[in-house]
Amino acid sequence: MNGFSIGHFVRRPEFGAVLSFVAVIVFYVAFGGVSLGTLFGAASWVNFAANLGIVALPVGLLMISGELDISIGAMIPAGSMTIAILSGYYELPIVIGMLGVLAIGVLVGLVNGLLAVRTSVPSLIITLGTLVAVQGLVLAGSVILTGAASVPLNAPAWAKTVFGDLIHGKFQVIILWWLALTVVFGFVLHATRYGNWIVAMGGDEVSARNAGIPTDRLRIVLFVLSSTAASFVGMCGAILFNSAQVSGGMNYIFNTVVSIVVGGVLLTGGFGSVAGIFLGALTFAVVSQGIYFTNIDRNWSNLIIGVMLMAAVLMNNTFRQMALSFVPKKNK
Amino acid sequence: MNARNDVLAPSAASGGHAKATIGQLSRRPEAGSLLGLIAVFAFFALLGGKVFLSAAGYASWLNVAAEIGIVALPIGLLMIAGEMDLSIGAVIPASSLTVAIISGHYGLPEIVGISAGLGVGLLVGFFNGYLVNRTRVPSLIVTIGSMFAVMGLTLGFTVLIAGSTGVSLVPSPAVKAILGDFIGGMFQVTIFWWILFAVAFFCLLHISPVGNWIFALGGDKVSARNAGIPTDKLTIALYMLSGFSAAFVGVSQVLVYQSAQVLGGQSFIFNSIMCVVIGGVLLTGGAGSVVGIVFGTLTFAIVNQGIYFTGIDPNLGSVIIGALLLLAVMMNDKFRLMAMSYAAKKKK
Repeated sequence: MNGFSIGHFVRRPEFGAVLSFVAVIVFYVAFGGVSLGTLFGAASWVNFAANLGIVALPVGLLMISGELDISIGAMIPAGSMTIAILSGYYELPIVIGMLGVLAIGVLVGLVNGLLAVRTSVPSLIITLGTLVAVQGLVLAGSVILTGAASVPLNAPAWAKTVFGDLIHGKFQVIILWWLALTVVFGFVLHATRYGNWIVAMGGDEVSARNAGIPTDRLRIVLFVLSSTAASFVGMCGAILFNSAQVSGGMNYIFNTVVSIVVGGVLLTGGFGSVAGIFLGALTFAVVSQGIYFTNIDRNWSNLIIGVMLMAAVLMNNTFRQMALSFVPKKNK
Repeated sequence: MNARNDVLAPSAASGGHAKATIGQLSRRPEAGSLLGLIAVFAFFALLGGKVFLSAAGYASWLNVAAEIGIVALPIGLLMIAGEMDLSIGAVIPASSLTVAIISGHYGLPEIVGISAGLGVGLLVGFFNGYLVNRTRVPSLIVTIGSMFAVMGLTLGFTVLIAGSTGVSLVPSPAVKAILGDFIGGMFQVTIFWWILFAVAFFCLLHISPVGNWIFALGGDKVSARNAGIPTDKLTIALYMLSGFSAAFVGVSQVLVYQSAQVLGGQSFIFNSIMCVVIGGVLLTGGAGSVVGIVFGTLTFAIVNQGIYFTGIDPNLGSVIIGALLLLAVMMNDKFRLMAMSYAAKKKK
């Protein structure tokens, strides 16, 4: 390796993400007349990115390992309803509510993981089943137990400070969680052997298993991580807004997939980086929330997201081919 | 009987059984979905009682089934061919708004609006198929991209042209009778269109040679291409078919409800996939049947609507659907293994 070079940087999975992030900002500044100061001083899109990003990290890892989890769309309201019902409606200590959130995340993750390991069914279908089932359970559970589709929750001060505060009156504290989790996930994926295992599993599962990687256990752990992360986001939302809603969360399904793909992860597995996923969530948030600061009609934001996704996919394809074709030359 | 030319081809060809045995029936792709349909129908007939079995009861779930069913058929074919299409969720409102804007807002003849609406579907389908062929990116991602893009275009243009997110349309009686009427005051005419679509798709998948191509494409794409099947053209055609069907649902929706909304159609994305999977189609491709897809759609619609006739909390309906989906998936897994191992034994 002869140090840092431009070619080297271009072949990294997050290069596409950096490019799209810059492109979107430039586009908004050039055509939307937004000033950079307003955009970077605004909290709305950073908050949005943090909520999205915490879910995108484990789902991105799942995608690197060749799987998909769409049940997160139901886990976010499930997490917020669990803590609101336990600690708000039944007035149990907040810690019990948090344990309940953790438990439901682990439980659904285990179901997803076990089904994915035991059957040959694509994880999209499995998690579609759990998505619908959890959604129904949450709705019915909240109506049967509390008689309403929205449950208030008054969290004690320490819980609010840790999970649901607004820093400077606008930045959600969940942003710090997002940054911390990004560091943790980045360390796991890029600096430990587990990260290698995940990438290996996505590249070629049979070879990975033959090489002694406990693929089944690893996969179950990844599914548990993703549904727990989603229920965590739901919990933070409930603590912040002092109430939990049964609806909401469905948007996260496509938003996470899009931000992960924009972040340079291949859906077919085996390729991706945590920095890319982080930037992907940031980019998605700028597109969908930053548009309010521009004089572009916000109705076009979905079009921009669609075009950006296509562009990212095409770019990633090209970059990946470059990366793959480059390596053999080096070895010679 | 022609439906046998898929997974069961070896056993059917070499068997020489004149009659279908029970074992043979249970290995057909739609066996599980028929069982599910009977079980679900019996369950709701028992709990829902007379109201569920009355004409109004039938109408309530047949109307739902017809709309999803028309979309589920081409989605099923795509899934048999090993691909996915999520963009239908955006094509449905896009086509109904196209009709409403052209014929309602601008007052052009309805035939122009309807053709344009269907054209939108064909165009999006072509675009999807072309991109899937060219980029080799999983079709899930490609169609999520086109879904967002079409959604944005629909929203942007509707607000730009009509100034609101809903556009109304008063169709002429003739057009309404063909596409958007209620027969007997409750059965949507869409139900008959669904039957027509189902027959057409049955012929396509199980009688015409194209059907075999679709199975081959889903079973092994490279071999299919080597065997001379025009896989690229076939993929584009399948995507155009699903775009067209989604647009058809959009058109009939605007004629039934006399207005088009920008939001709407989202629920079709996952619902149609669930219908198809409950109907015994494998997402990995290469197995499935049109009869199964129809059964799956009926099952889904009965659970979705039948729950309102019972005393059960309607929200628990989606728990039943989720459980059914997982059950169907696991049963299909089993049945498919049985079918595969049976065929292999015969070969010896």
